[in-house]
Amino acid sequence: MLPIGFYRTLLWCYPAPFRHEYGAEMIGAFAEQVREARQQGGWQAEASIWISTLFDVLVTAPREHSHVIHQDLRYAIRTLASQPGFAAVAVLSLALGIGANTAIFTLINSVLLSALPVRDPHSLVILTNPASNGVTIGGKSGEREELTSSEFRQLRDLSSVFASLMACQIQPERVPVRVDGSEPAETVVQLVSSEYFSTLGVPALLGRTLSPDDDPAAPNAVISYDYWQRRFGRRADVLGSRIAIRQGVFSIIGVAPASFFGETVGQRPEIWVPLSMQPAVLPGRDWLHENPGDREKVMWLHVFGRLKPGIRIETAQAAANVTFQQGLAVFYGSAERARRQWLKLRPAASGASQIRGQFAEPLTMLLLASGLVLLIACANLGNLLLTRTTARIREMSVRLALGAGRGRLIRQLLTESMVVAFVGGIAGLGAAWILRAGLLRLVSDTIHLPGAPDARVLGFAFALTLVAGLILGLLPALRTMSVNAGAGLKEQGRGVTGSAAWLRTGKFVVVGQMALSLPLLVGAGLLLQTLQNLQHADLGYVKERLFLVRVDVQMAGYEEQRRLAVFQRLLERVRAEPGVQAASYSKSGLFLGSRSSGHVKVEGYTPEGGDGVRSVWDHAGPDYFSTLGIPLLLGREITERDRPSSNKVCVINEAFAKRFFADRNPLGMHVDRYEIVGVARDSRNRSLRDEVEARFYIPAAQATDVPRFITFVVRTVAEPSSVLAAVRQTILSEDRNLPITAASTLTELVNRQMVQDRLLARLSTAFGVVGLFLAAIGLYGVVSYGVARRTNEIGIRKALGAPHSAVMAMILRETGLLLAVGLVSGLALCAAGMRFITSRLYGLAPTDPVALGVAITVLTGVALIAGWLPAYRASRVDPLVALRCE
Amino acid sequence: MSSDVSDPDSLLPLPTAVFHILVALADRDRHGYSIMQDIAARTGGKVRLSAGTLYSSIHRMLEQGLVEELRESPDPLSQDERRRYYHLTRWGRRVAMAEARRLTEMLSQARETGLIPKKL
Repeated sequence: MLPIGFYRTLLWCYPAPFRHEYGAEMIGAFAEQVREARQQGGWQAEASIWISTLFDVLVTAPREHSHVIHQDLRYAIRTLASQPGFAAVAVLSLALGIGANTAIFTLINSVLLSALPVRDPHSLVILTNPASNGVTIGGKSGEREELTSSEFRQLRDLSSVFASLMACQIQPERVPVRVDGSEPAETVVQLVSSEYFSTLGVPALLGRTLSPDDDPAAPNAVISYDYWQRRFGRRADVLGSRIAIRQGVFSIIGVAPASFFGETVGQRPEIWVPLSMQPAVLPGRDWLHENPGDREKVMWLHVFGRLKPGIRIETAQAAANVTFQQGLAVFYGSAERARRQWLKLRPAASGASQIRGQFAEPLTMLLLASGLVLLIACANLGNLLLTRTTARIREMSVRLALGAGRGRLIRQLLTESMVVAFVGGIAGLGAAWILRAGLLRLVSDTIHLPGAPDARVLGFAFALTLVAGLILGLLPALRTMSVNAGAGLKEQGRGVTGSAAWLRTGKFVVVGQMALSLPLLVGAGLLLQTLQNLQHADLGYVKERLFLVRVDVQMAGYEEQRRLAVFQRLLERVRAEPGVQAASYSKSGLFLGSRSSGHVKVEGYTPEGGDGVRSVWDHAGPDYFSTLGIPLLLGREITERDRPSSNKVCVINEAFAKRFFADRNPLGMHVDRYEIVGVARDSRNRSLRDEVEARFYIPAAQATDVPRFITFVVRTVAEPSSVLAAVRQTILSEDRNLPITAASTLTELVNRQMVQDRLLARLSTAFGVVGLFLAAIGLYGVVSYGVARRTNEIGIRKALGAPHSAVMAMILRETGLLLAVGLVSGLALCAAGMRFITSRLYGLAPTDPVALGVAITVLTGVALIAGWLPAYRASRVDPLVALRCE
Repeated sequence: MSSDVSDPDSLLPLPTAVFHILVALADRDRHGYSIMQDIAARTGGKVRLSAGTLYSSIHRMLEQGLVEELRESPDPLSQDERRRYYHLTRWGRRVAMAEARRLTEMLSQARETGLIPKKL
């Protein structure tokens, strides 16, 4: 049978104090039992003793552990309750720290990590680019980011690799919707193929979802849970209700489940209607069919597929590309051209998202910053706990002297810090909930993210709480390691503020806090400066007193030949509006996200590939450049005289001239069939950060296809918003049916470009300030403690005739030394963290001397104030009182 | 310790092992193994406490003041230094009585309802 020694090993399952107390007795009793069994019943009886003992250990060891934990918890709660001030400060700091981190993490979770709330999201793939954000009209080469309706239809029949495929509009439209004849309200409508819900595996909460029966243009609609709640008060008789969307009247056939927000993270369509209903929802153009060779095919769909079991994504990609390129070969009449475009399949468990790329980096940076703040807060609380531990050295010494194990004391302290951390963590979850809402508002009011915290968020908060508890408990626990029973009792003679060891640790912690605060402050400074630079970035024109209004004439039913006349008429009426200084139009406008590009032939420039070069262009109205105030460097701008029948002309920008003409004079040369008559200074109309693209402008009147929409640019005499409203009215008085698809001042549009920058700058400033404040409190605590310890020495110095200033200098020197070490370590941290921030900066380097200088000055100033207060108190010490302290 | 809690009912119902230990200590002080033997003998071998259950219970009973540890062995013949002897306290006796009363009441209730015969 097993030796008794094995039972001794089993005893390690019990808590150490229990083992020490009863181990020998238990072994003795067990040995007797075994001996007796051997005598009476042989090996069977002995085996039965072993088995029942094994079970006994399994049951009683955990019970003993939980008993000890229970006792520690009760003791910890009693101790904390006796110091409500400390408990409140600690819980509040941790709640804020853990809350801020968790709030940022919930955003990271919903933007970057979460899977779509659909059936088996991991077998979904996306055939288009998940980051694509709109409609492309015209030609394309390389990886296809969007697909056309007929391309989707060809792929849909590819049943060898996909269980099913669906297509959906990439950019849902915000359109006026009437419910049962009520006033129209702006609602987000998305066109989706009839397989949309079945491919995603989303059943209807009420009624049914779209099905292939809805394909021959059935006017059916599925609404979102939110919309059902808001517009219909969750009425069950919503099914069959009629809603009017532009030129179609739809009947509601189902409600989607509450958790379902669509396939794109950040969007939240309210109504889904069949793709085949496009002519009613997006009238004016056929987006569903294209004829072979069409120059203007509309690529506007995301396509998702559910892989058949066992099919790998590479296999599916190869099969999809064969079908796709076969279709293109028919379309272009050239297999070679078809091969220049391909599909790239990606896993689509987390859906599509236009904001993912945009926010991944800023959110990660913010998580890093809030993590630093939490660390500083933990260090402070650890320091506070340490002071309390030091004050309890006597209690500890007594307990040690009475035979308590050191491990038990450390566990007791860790239990205390864990209790603080857990209460803080739970409060932190609440704080995260509130902070998250604020964060979202700061990001954008048009981005919708799912709200409920999932297991990952809870796990994150739990892990953070555990780490915070450990950090908190670490310092006091380390301190206890060095307590010995005799010394602790003796030290008490010097008063409660007795320990030099604590002061050493405290100083170390304060230096660490200042070192961590510096990169936070420098980062905040750099990001604030970046925001400033972006706000004052040179656009190439004055952005104030300028607004834009986009009108979609095609949607209102204007055929091509009538469009120019209506543009001209609208322009004249806008110009006549009081308060308007100048007005013109272009197709793409400024900072509205649209852009036309394609292959062009530039006279005298031979590209390497042979087939022409890619360039961006825009259709401009008369006096476009002078309206914006963009100076012409050479030649003239586009005017009223550039009619359809006159010489075809264009204006190029500086970047275009530099790229294609280098040092030649571009005037008189041709881009395609347009003669260059002017070179305009570079101006920005898409991005504040990227290089200005090579671009040319042709008169809208001379374009091959007259634009389907145009964007008026209006320069006003004074503040633009009142004029903007009047111009809207003027446009509607020309034709009530003209859809105004965008109307906003340029300042607003440019500000939208800076969402992430503003988020980063504001939050990092907040974190910087909080970090600095916490570090200052830490420093104040340590210096005050040092002064209290030296009250006696200060008294003697003063009695010997030292002036106030000498005492102050002595204490401040100490602060200065801590600060210097903190700054040097902080600078090292800054150097290490530089690469995280470089890509977010604009117009300055991460080593920017101003940001660095300001951060160092602020940190020094705050540290000196925190150190000055105790120094001042020390200098006022009355020598008699001080000496009496002994 | 809880020995100053005046109401023994606050500790009821007692875990079976605890009640057996109290009964084993009723007539004399015993060491751990002796308690185990006594219980096994009284129950005809049906209840056999393992060392873990025994000492885990004693640990708790010491905290609750039901038993106390004797400083010296009551058995002058015992040579075993390791052995610790336990003694039933007055409080422990009261608690054991209360538990016995509780069990008796339960038994009589079961008899009254006819669930079990008057005499088993």
